[in-house]
Amino acid sequence: MSRRVPLPFPRVHPALPDHVDVPGLDDVLGALPRSASEVVPKARSALAYDVVGRSVLRVQRLRDERRMATAAPRPDSPMNPPLRTLAGVKELMSGHYLKGRYAPGARPVAWVTSGAPIEALVALGFFLVYPENHAALCGSRRMSGELCQAAEEEGYGKDLCSYVRTDLGSIATGRTPVGTLPPPDLLVCCTNICQTVKYWYEILAAHFDVPLVTIDTPFLYDEVAPYQVAYVRDQIRTELVPAAEKTAGRRLRPRALHDTLVEAKQACELWCAVLDRSRHHPAPLTAFDGFLLMGPVVNMRGRRETNDYYRRVLSELDGRVAAGTGAIRDERHRVLWDNLPVWYRLSALSRRLAALGINVVASNYTYAWGELAPLIDPDDPWESMAMTYLHPILNRSTGHKLAAMREMIDGFGVDGVILHSDRSCKPYSLGQIDQRDLIVDRVGVPALLLEADHNDPRVWSEEQNVGRIEAFAEMMAAAG
Amino acid sequence: MSAPRTPAAAQTPLAPLPRREEVAEAARGQGLGLLAALPYHYPRALVRAHGFHAMEVWAPPSTPADSGARHFQAYACPIVVKGAAFLLDGGFGRVDAVLVPHGCDALQGLGSVLRDFVDGRPPVLTLYPPRGRRAVDARYLRAEFARLGDDLGALSGRRPNADDWAAAFAAEDAADAALARLYAHRGRLAISDREFYEVVRAREYLLPDQFIEAVAALPPGTPRRGGVGIVLSGIVADPLELLDVLHEAGAHVAADDLGSGSRRLLPAPASTAAPADPIGRCVEAFLAGPPDPTRGDPIAARAEHLLALVRTSGSRGVLVLDPTFCEPEQFYLPGLRAALGAEDIPLLFVEHESSGTLDARLRGRVEAFVETLTTQGVAS
Repeated sequence: MSRRVPLPFPRVHPALPDHVDVPGLDDVLGALPRSASEVVPKARSALAYDVVGRSVLRVQRLRDERRMATAAPRPDSPMNPPLRTLAGVKELMSGHYLKGRYAPGARPVAWVTSGAPIEALVALGFFLVYPENHAALCGSRRMSGELCQAAEEEGYGKDLCSYVRTDLGSIATGRTPVGTLPPPDLLVCCTNICQTVKYWYEILAAHFDVPLVTIDTPFLYDEVAPYQVAYVRDQIRTELVPAAEKTAGRRLRPRALHDTLVEAKQACELWCAVLDRSRHHPAPLTAFDGFLLMGPVVNMRGRRETNDYYRRVLSELDGRVAAGTGAIRDERHRVLWDNLPVWYRLSALSRRLAALGINVVASNYTYAWGELAPLIDPDDPWESMAMTYLHPILNRSTGHKLAAMREMIDGFGVDGVILHSDRSCKPYSLGQIDQRDLIVDRVGVPALLLEADHNDPRVWSEEQNVGRIEAFAEMMAAAG
Repeated sequence: MSAPRTPAAAQTPLAPLPRREEVAEAARGQGLGLLAALPYHYPRALVRAHGFHAMEVWAPPSTPADSGARHFQAYACPIVVKGAAFLLDGGFGRVDAVLVPHGCDALQGLGSVLRDFVDGRPPVLTLYPPRGRRAVDARYLRAEFARLGDDLGALSGRRPNADDWAAAFAAEDAADAALARLYAHRGRLAISDREFYEVVRAREYLLPDQFIEAVAALPPGTPRRGGVGIVLSGIVADPLELLDVLHEAGAHVAADDLGSGSRRLLPAPASTAAPADPIGRCVEAFLAGPPDPTRGDPIAARAEHLLALVRTSGSRGVLVLDPTFCEPEQFYLPGLRAALGAEDIPLLFVEHESSGTLDARLRGRVEAFVETLTTQGVAS
């Protein structure tokens, strides 16, 4: 990987005026080329994505849906037929990455962390790349092992986050399942999921030689304090927005921000509604479906097509609930999943658990993109964004996470908990030993600490983990 | 071939430093409460002004990890696991409060677990330093320090007045100045590297006066070290045995970039007068510290700092010594290695388990590294 020498110390951004509302002709005509150099990329993007790509992906989706609808059920499978709307994720996500391929020159590109406040960027017309999502995609396509290895050959330690290693390996080798990733014009990292992202994005900033905006979110050991909200709010207003405006070459219109927040809030609400359907018995979807369905709310929050999509998913889930159709055929045990998924074992693990009559009905990980919807207030954008982005589960105490898990155990009628002890995600994993013990002792629900890693398959021990899962199923059966 | 050197062990040992129990007793005698502080950035003067003396907990090598391992997975760093074990195995009973600065995700987990899941313990306070040095970070840090002061004051019953602040700054500034003098004069003291770092690390628990006395007692003269100079980087100079290995292999530490060392050397205050804005001064000093991975500083800033240390100290290489699973440190390594490599300065990274001893494999790597540096020096 080639490295450029980055700027030595924090970059100075121009101060933001108190009132960011300077609509100009370029805002109105934002979709059109604003210079001769933009004409070709914009035209190419429009042709490749809007005209050809979308149509092709739509046809593929319809074909997939038809095939899923007409396929004969497999008698040997412990699962019921998959949700047909899963084909829509493929359409949306493929479209997203296809659009990204033609973004350079046509629109500004920002690489952002999964917990970053993206609404201002969306309102400014940025194309967003989520390296975490890309890494997860590499994991589910079984590419992450070799990419982690490639990053390690670059000198990155095997104890570092496997998302980071996967993406740095992808940059080093040029290998990606999405064809190509558009290089960033701007990097935005928010520490509300971990400190790891700060280091990761410093590496990206040095490599790509582009500005990095850090939104630092104090970890909430207790309830949030006003000065912590002010800190995050001020960073969004005086660091992120000016840098994004400078990169985009246009001013942020309050109306555009408002509208984006409206869509984002709705996306989060719809996403929560999707996940909440698993409160039904039998649950019409598994957490593993949730891991796949979450792509749009993570990557395309604030866009109308995302909300339209989740409405279609809800409609299908409601049909399943009305028909009493569960995601798995014989739902004997309902389980809560804690932490990130094991991306490279997603379907195998799902089938293995289903074969034991275990439906993983909920995950606190997937809820992270929905549960904060009530905090989003489009009429009070700065304060509400600060509140929203301070409160992800990963930025809150181990005690809060336990309380949230207890609520989910009750709310979803769960009779077991799997805590994925994720070797390379310390903020999610440290605290799990106490959480497991307290779930077992005080809630009276069996809980399993499953040792793995979210994206590094070399850490997975099939024999050991399968044995532990089978023993766990026996414990749940014994507990009645 | 090794350069000529003076045997480290052949000299008269230094006067022993006060033991921790003695320090604790002396602090209580001064009316101070005891604060167990985890590594490694926190405002000492603020702590003192609010009636506490901080004694730091850095993975005590003699502490069995068992109690900590009952709360933390095997992939948590030894500072967290052993720090927790030390507190759980009697440490809590000896202090009035604990401070866990948020230096990384692992310390975050430690602070949160102690607060949420451990009963029968003294209050556990936290501090979240910003990962930046912008104006917005300074404003936040001021409020965060004020909150920490309020928390400490609520425990000690002390709301510091101007005289309290002045006394606290006078004491801690003098100790910081002594530490700075120790570093500035390291080439003119008749001590070994091991002795040097024993005294540096005594700043982690001695009272300011005791530390100043310990520094003043060091004998001037020709340093008892020799061979090629290296820069020692990383979190902590532990185990100290490493310094003996370096000496025996023919190297010495000419400068450091250690969390337990020079990363805590803050610029001297412009004035010794009592500050009108004491918390503002704490903020200013805090943000003026050298580049540091736990502050999330850019790779280039850290590389430039290391290169400057190498050049000014005449070192030939950089040895990075870290506890296992230290993410903040590990993320920088490829970038630092590349930047140093461009100047033909080798970097060796070694991890240790904080067991108090150096295993043979690690010893061999350090010896080989020194031999490489020595050979390079002869060749050039």
